[in-house]
Amino acid sequence: MKTDQLIAALAADAPARAPVAAGLARWLAPALALAGAALLALWGLRPGLAGAMMQPLVAAKLALPLALAGTVLALALRSARPEARVTLAPLALLAVAALALLGIGLALTPPADWARAWAGDTALACLISIPALAALPLAASLLALRRGASTDPARSGLLAGLLAGAAATALYALHCPEDSPLFYVCWYGLGIVIAGTAGRLLGPRLLRW
Amino acid sequence: MTEAEWAALLRAANAGDARAYGRFLHAVTPMLRGLVRARGGSLGPEGCEDIVQEVLLAIHLKRHTWREDAPLRPWLYAIARHKVIDAFRARGRRVDLPIGDFAELLPADPGPDPTEASDALRMIARLDPRSAEIVRAIGIEGEEIAETGRRLKMTEGAVRVVLHRAFKRLAALRERHIE
Repeated sequence: MKTDQLIAALAADAPARAPVAAGLARWLAPALALAGAALLALWGLRPGLAGAMMQPLVAAKLALPLALAGTVLALALRSARPEARVTLAPLALLAVAALALLGIGLALTPPADWARAWAGDTALACLISIPALAALPLAASLLALRRGASTDPARSGLLAGLLAGAAATALYALHCPEDSPLFYVCWYGLGIVIAGTAGRLLGPRLLRW
Repeated sequence: MTEAEWAALLRAANAGDARAYGRFLHAVTPMLRGLVRARGGSLGPEGCEDIVQEVLLAIHLKRHTWREDAPLRPWLYAIARHKVIDAFRARGRRVDLPIGDFAELLPADPGPDPTEASDALRMIARLDPRSAEIVRAIGIEGEEIAETGRRLKMTEGAVRVVLHRAFKRLAALRERHIE
């Protein structure tokens, strides 16, 4: 087949599809809605949610994952463009914020109570719930990014995983009754890392083109 | 043709102008050929043309990832670089391409391209019979979608769907580079 003939056939194909961002919105919005519905139905909101969120250290466990979700969303979309060079540097800022929260938690908790505050009562539930809530958003993000043209599928997968993990964590924070930064920086962080790792592993398989 | 003209063509193409799209692909092909031949001389003209076609297919399937407000050449180069490296890897070779732009590359061989790529027909033969027939009819025999539809008793929309799926399948086959 001559190249001219190939071009003629390509030109006869249907017009281009919608940009990746539109596809991501179409897939991710319902996935997040379902994850939110699952949280309401199976986990439930914590009692006194509105009042608790008035306290800065409690609000932070919602605000930090939301900030992470927004940051990695922008990075993931960028990484779907072949010419984009995406650095993970913006994530360092969020890591510093998380460490600062951890420092505040340590300062506010008597050293004798550190271990108890860190372990909490629901660490295992947290570690299971965040990846469970992240599964559907991760699938949606990866499906949407498949339409992109990432030249670094592992990194795009990682970003999709972090996006799903951060969004799931923000949801889980509405349920979780543990308010010590010692608890949530560690266990939420670990939950997000698990989701990110899943995305990092799936990326090279799913995002090749 | 300047980058702005290419961009105007692709913009029109993405809005549904098939003629502009054909012109765009024709316009960028010499540059792609230059890139491939500069690195793949040992593959011979046919082998190079296979890779040029792989790059064209990738541009086709990923053309919605170009943002209309972004420069076109770096986007085009990034796709070409990715696919050329991939294609060489699939052939058991390594190729070094700098990140960036076509820069000092010269378009290869101005004038009509006589080269017949060898892979394409083999790949088309691996499609299901109906898809293969449609790709051949439109690509090689130059049939219009409407004619093909009438001949095969399919709606134009159905022909387009089969054609589109065939391109995705061809891209996947080429990636695996089945001999």
